[in-house]
Amino acid sequence: MDTSNTPPATATPPVEDGRVWKAGRLEPMPIRKLPDAPPSVHLLGPTVFLVALGVGMGESYMWPRLVLLFGPEIRWLFLVGVTLQAVVMLEMARYAMATGESIFTGAARVFKPLMWFFFIVAIAVYIWPGHLSAGAAALEQITGIPWMITAICGLLLVGVVFTLAKVIYNLLENVLSLLIGALVLGTAIVAAMVGQWSDVVSTISGMFAVGYLPDEAMTAAWFPVIVGACAFAGPSGMQQMWYTLHLRDSGAGMGAHIPKVRGLRHAGEEEEMPNRGFMFDTEDPAEMAKWKGWRRWVTFDALLLFWGITMLVTISFTVIAQSAARLNPGVREALLADDQEAALTAMSNAVSSAGSSVLGVVFLGFIALIGLNATLGLFDSFSRGQADMTFNFVPGAKKLGMSRLYAIFLWAVIAFGILILLFGPADGPASILDTLAFLSTFAMGAYCVTLLLVNNRMLPKPIRPKWWSNAIIGFGAVFYLGMLFYSMVAFGVVVG
Amino acid sequence: MIGRHSLELALPGASIGAVAGAVAGGLTLFAGAPTGMATLSALALAVPLAFFGGLYGVLLGHGVFRPGTFGPVGLYWMAAFPVSRLVQETLYGVGTADGVLTFLAYQAMVSLGFAIGFLWMHERLMPHWLMRRAADNPIAEQLLGTYLRYARLVSARKGARK
Repeated sequence: MDTSNTPPATATPPVEDGRVWKAGRLEPMPIRKLPDAPPSVHLLGPTVFLVALGVGMGESYMWPRLVLLFGPEIRWLFLVGVTLQAVVMLEMARYAMATGESIFTGAARVFKPLMWFFFIVAIAVYIWPGHLSAGAAALEQITGIPWMITAICGLLLVGVVFTLAKVIYNLLENVLSLLIGALVLGTAIVAAMVGQWSDVVSTISGMFAVGYLPDEAMTAAWFPVIVGACAFAGPSGMQQMWYTLHLRDSGAGMGAHIPKVRGLRHAGEEEEMPNRGFMFDTEDPAEMAKWKGWRRWVTFDALLLFWGITMLVTISFTVIAQSAARLNPGVREALLADDQEAALTAMSNAVSSAGSSVLGVVFLGFIALIGLNATLGLFDSFSRGQADMTFNFVPGAKKLGMSRLYAIFLWAVIAFGILILLFGPADGPASILDTLAFLSTFAMGAYCVTLLLVNNRMLPKPIRPKWWSNAIIGFGAVFYLGMLFYSMVAFGVVVG
Repeated sequence: MIGRHSLELALPGASIGAVAGAVAGGLTLFAGAPTGMATLSALALAVPLAFFGGLYGVLLGHGVFRPGTFGPVGLYWMAAFPVSRLVQETLYGVGTADGVLTFLAYQAMVSLGFAIGFLWMHERLMPHWLMRRAADNPIAEQLLGTYLRYARLVSARKGARK
């Protein structure tokens, strides 16, 4: 863990001078130039993926549900969850931008089995097509087409699109951007129509009722649900880890030195993928100035795009849910019974009665849109993550190339998804979502620990995290793992 | 012809405002309301949103806003969105039950969300429109230059890939 050759403090070091940064037991990283950061806080970066993945059922269903059941004060936990995720995002970006490596490779540099742990968890958690079902069920409400048909068509469509795309990142960024733009605009307008000032005031003031936990919440029936909802505040499970792959593919920081993943049809054009990342000269003030620029860029992304949009969508959906419960008491009952489909339908009906039947359709349309966003993002990210680990750490996998590995994982998860939808234990839309929650939450605690190890041991001193950032990530590990195990020990139930 | 050149830049923003307004605005009174009334309600939101959306494009062309920066756009819509909603509610809505000030305060809050969505879409559409108009429109050409400078920096960065 030291540079083999202490870099001289010159303003313009040669680009390729044979110096390396040794991190862990894997191949050392050659020193290269850090590219310039974008000139202003100009554009939407890869955070778009995190937003697309993050704004899911947690925001549109779980949290509105908890607010209706326990009152808006329960939302302080949401604030903690999302803020924690914003810090996690900044720290994930630190390693990815400094090295152009994914956090998985970082984990392997610390301790290889740690990386294999995530490889296995990803398969266990993400091959189930559960995330598709809620969106497809919403679509069934609108169109009458059985949800299973929509779900299977959706799976095949995702596979075909990602196979034909020349450069997958660009395609996905464009599609997701338009979808999210429509979602954000639409949600804002629907909330403007159906909501009231008092709903927003209670929703927002509830976020600062720190420590509020009603007696009911501390029961075997509800505590696991709350733990699950905290884990689903913002990106859940391994989504933050995948974000490092998107950062790399978008050319952020040292990711600029790594080629992009292509669709299978264009796999032949792929440039050679290096089997390790790069490091910049952290002793050079000019390089450090550029690094500060990159940190500003990603901080802007984390605060405005990620934190802002996640908050906005959740507040809007909570406001919609509150209006819905006012108009139709059936909403509260359906939520209490944890009948997700009934609750979403009741909410849609209430929204319809406030405006029109079309407005109810718009609401269900958003649920379907959220489902579609999540599916596109999850399938791509899962395949990307598994391909990355296989490429770097399975002997012989390099011969296939990253793009082919990506295609193999993508089609495997699609094929398995279709089989499960047709013959598997997926007996109804909401039923598969819940089973993922335990491993998902556990992985989140585990990646907090991994992040602490990777960033504090594998990076040069000048770019390691500050103490407060470490403290927050440490708190994250305790928060996720503590709640998970408390739930198991005290109530004998995993997350709900 | 300065007027026409500036107005051309209004198109992407005006379209986003109009579509957002028409789609969601038209829905509120659709059920149970005569079609004519519903159309008027949609128009009552779509027209002001299109106006302010277009105005943003014009101001962007004159350098009042910088492309893609959120802060000023957020403030802009914080004023423009509540006004648009007030116009709609006053003309064809159910009225502001909680009082005008509370109504405006609520709308101002929601407007931030609208601003993010608007900017997001605008940044996707504007460069395409500028490329079409740059040959005949000096203001569009100048603004396109700003976008291109940014794009060049990005591509230079990506060109350094190994």
